[in-house]
Amino acid sequence: MTSNLNYRTGVKPVWCPGCFDFSILNVLTRRVLPALGKPNDQVFIVSGIGCSSRIPGYIDTYGLNGLHGRGIVIAQGAKLAKPELTVIAIGGDGDFFSIGAGHLPHAVRRNINITCIMVNNFVYALTKGQTSPTTPHLDRGEGSFLSQKFYPPVDPVLDMLSYSVSTQASFIAQGLASDAAHLTGLIEQGVRHNGFSFINVLTPCITFNPPELFETIKKNASYLVEGQPVELPASATEKPWVHDPGNISLAMKLAQFSVLEKTHLGILFHGKESQPPATPSGQ
Amino acid sequence: MRDTLTIAIVGSGGDGVVLLGSFLQKLTAEQGYFSQMPRYYGAQIRGGASAVKLSLDAEHTCVAEDTADILVCFDWGKYQEVTEELPLREDTLVIYDDNPPPGMNLPKQSFAVDFTKKSREITGATLSKNMIALGLLKKILALPADEVQHTIDRNEELALLKNNVAAIAAGESLFSAFPFPDLRLSSPRNRSPKVILHGSGTMVRAAIHANCRAFFGYPITPAADIMQAMQEEIGQRGGVFLQAEDEIAAAGLCVGASMVGVKSITATSGPGFDLMTEMIGLAASAEIPMVIIDVQRCGPSTGIPSKSEQSDLNQAIYGGHGDAPRVVIAPYDIEGCYRLVIASLDIAQYFQTPVILLSDQWLGQTLVAAESDFLEKDYPSTDSKKPAAEEGQPYRRYQLTEDSISPMAVVGDAGLQYQTTGLTHNEMGAPAWDFETQQKMHEKRWQKLLPLCQREDLVKLFGEPDCPAGIITWGSSAQIVRETVNALGLQHQVTVCVPELIYPLPDMVRKFVKSVEKLLIIEMNYSGQFYHYLRSQVDVPVKTKVYARAGSRPFSKKELSPLMMELVR
Repeated sequence: MTSNLNYRTGVKPVWCPGCFDFSILNVLTRRVLPALGKPNDQVFIVSGIGCSSRIPGYIDTYGLNGLHGRGIVIAQGAKLAKPELTVIAIGGDGDFFSIGAGHLPHAVRRNINITCIMVNNFVYALTKGQTSPTTPHLDRGEGSFLSQKFYPPVDPVLDMLSYSVSTQASFIAQGLASDAAHLTGLIEQGVRHNGFSFINVLTPCITFNPPELFETIKKNASYLVEGQPVELPASATEKPWVHDPGNISLAMKLAQFSVLEKTHLGILFHGKESQPPATPSGQ
Repeated sequence: MRDTLTIAIVGSGGDGVVLLGSFLQKLTAEQGYFSQMPRYYGAQIRGGASAVKLSLDAEHTCVAEDTADILVCFDWGKYQEVTEELPLREDTLVIYDDNPPPGMNLPKQSFAVDFTKKSREITGATLSKNMIALGLLKKILALPADEVQHTIDRNEELALLKNNVAAIAAGESLFSAFPFPDLRLSSPRNRSPKVILHGSGTMVRAAIHANCRAFFGYPITPAADIMQAMQEEIGQRGGVFLQAEDEIAAAGLCVGASMVGVKSITATSGPGFDLMTEMIGLAASAEIPMVIIDVQRCGPSTGIPSKSEQSDLNQAIYGGHGDAPRVVIAPYDIEGCYRLVIASLDIAQYFQTPVILLSDQWLGQTLVAAESDFLEKDYPSTDSKKPAAEEGQPYRRYQLTEDSISPMAVVGDAGLQYQTTGLTHNEMGAPAWDFETQQKMHEKRWQKLLPLCQREDLVKLFGEPDCPAGIITWGSSAQIVRETVNALGLQHQVTVCVPELIYPLPDMVRKFVKSVEKLLIIEMNYSGQFYHYLRSQVDVPVKTKVYARAGSRPFSKKELSPLMMELVR
């Protein structure tokens, strides 16, 4: 096993200058991986398709930029067959909540020890700006998003956080790509969690998001701290409660506030760890 | 005395037809008889038609006969659903339970035996009628009583027979003497017990033998047998078994397990195979070993899930976008199911490629009693090219080499971390978008497979070599084709070529096609998929005839004989 503590490859990213995917890349290569102290050759990063899914090519661990929506299944196969590896699945909102949405509840119920990082920019950016399942119904300035023009969604977004809570993923967190220090903590804890972890990273797309999207998100963001009262949006009828990440019902209540009304950042839920998996023999 | 005997049994699902056939097959195999027993069943789990046809042979491995010498019928209504598969002859001995429908002409030797009533008398329930029939058939077969008893005492799978002594005895005493001298089967030539296997079970044994330790699948008829057996076998050995949420996931899980160095397999049938197409492309592009077993059934779409057809060949060879090479292999018998699973895992590993193994419902589910020597043989394996330590040189996962095969590290290998992608990539695995790389990497992936064309062990030639007349057939159809050639005594006039390696096309097949003046191609799909594929690879003789028809009904000797007579005329 070797570790050179430099986790970047020489490959130059294809992202737009100023893209927040750079922040996530830096969080992984400069903070999370060094902090975990994992040798480069004991980490496997698998992605889907899209801007953020280019990330494995830029990180000097084992990596696969796979198929749209299928990173999560390839990651599970690898982890099951070689449990000693640290396996991370990265993809966009399209990967996890559109084309590959069918895989997510099954990964959740198996509680296999992989970490899913959903780089959620609310848009299909690589194909130039179509709506994703998480796109809020907003005007982009020059008009509504293309695919919302004729059939504006009744339900503004497929709420990824509510979804992962309702399927009872055993570790659920939400971070902001622009807050590297906080995001580092979430991903690190997600990787250390022995079970399936799901981290929704709100990531501005500087090219296709309407600017007010992340202005709103940042304005309404609040950090969850265990033992401290949660912040609720003005529309809330309840009184704030003390944040308890071990309580799935409270996590569900938090998740059900629209991300644009109140953006809860931190660990929403931290549940059951899985049993140590059996090592396959006879390899 | 005769050397072969065929017993057909038909009833309603739940009548114990398959169980009766299996017991009979086991008892005779222990005596040393060879046999083959296809299953016929409909779409219903309970209450549909259920039938088997057990062909016994005292001398050599056999193929199920066209017609039955004996028919045991528990339900004439259900028999109507399988008349195509179980036609009667004038001299067939028929033993039946309920009254035949009005207007049905039964053969002369037809006897009503009220199995249901007898069963009720003996056990108070109707469930033992298959046991009464077993007693009767045992008597007709004249199996030595003490040896049979010994077999029953020794075999756990026959334990049920111990609880049904009265019913079996009642069946044995139905006819006082042996009134059917024509049906007397000679003793087996070779008394060594035969092993009973079906293609799907054999494939599982082979996979385990070849150290496959990961299986991922999704239930589908008729491939689910493989998944069921794999669950047991892999579970006992501490490997990885997972029922996936769909076939896309099953194939993806295989890719993941394979990349970390654990040999993995998935098995499916037509519709599931379609869903795996994109993953096959990724495995071809990123050069990831992968073995997919496709137990073919009638298509298109849902087709007839419980019946055989050879119509997935095009999808196996060409399925997917963007020029993704793969290897396609098709066993035609039980021994091949074993040998070729081992070979497929080996080829997938060495050539770093997806391998598609085409089985079918007939091959997968027909129970065969055969010699077991192939299960004990040593099978060669090729060592994969491993990266050598190169001081100061970064590892190139897709290094261009003379034979186009790059040394392969598996995920987790110390110091060899690489990044790969289904994007066009350079030797390092990094994305590239220039013509040179695109062309070179296509060349690499296609050319690395070419040495397979020289594999002479993956083409079977039968009969006299260099006959002017030849037949090419593939997969399970080869069984009945060979049987028909032999039955007609044409072994010296016709060479039968059975390519087990289908893609890439072996040189031996090219040579064979060029060597014959007249060629007959036989396959069980409507559009003649193999024929069209063959024509795309080699010039076929002017006198080439194609016999391709839909599946669902098995080929029979009666059906194929005129074609062969025509071929040698």
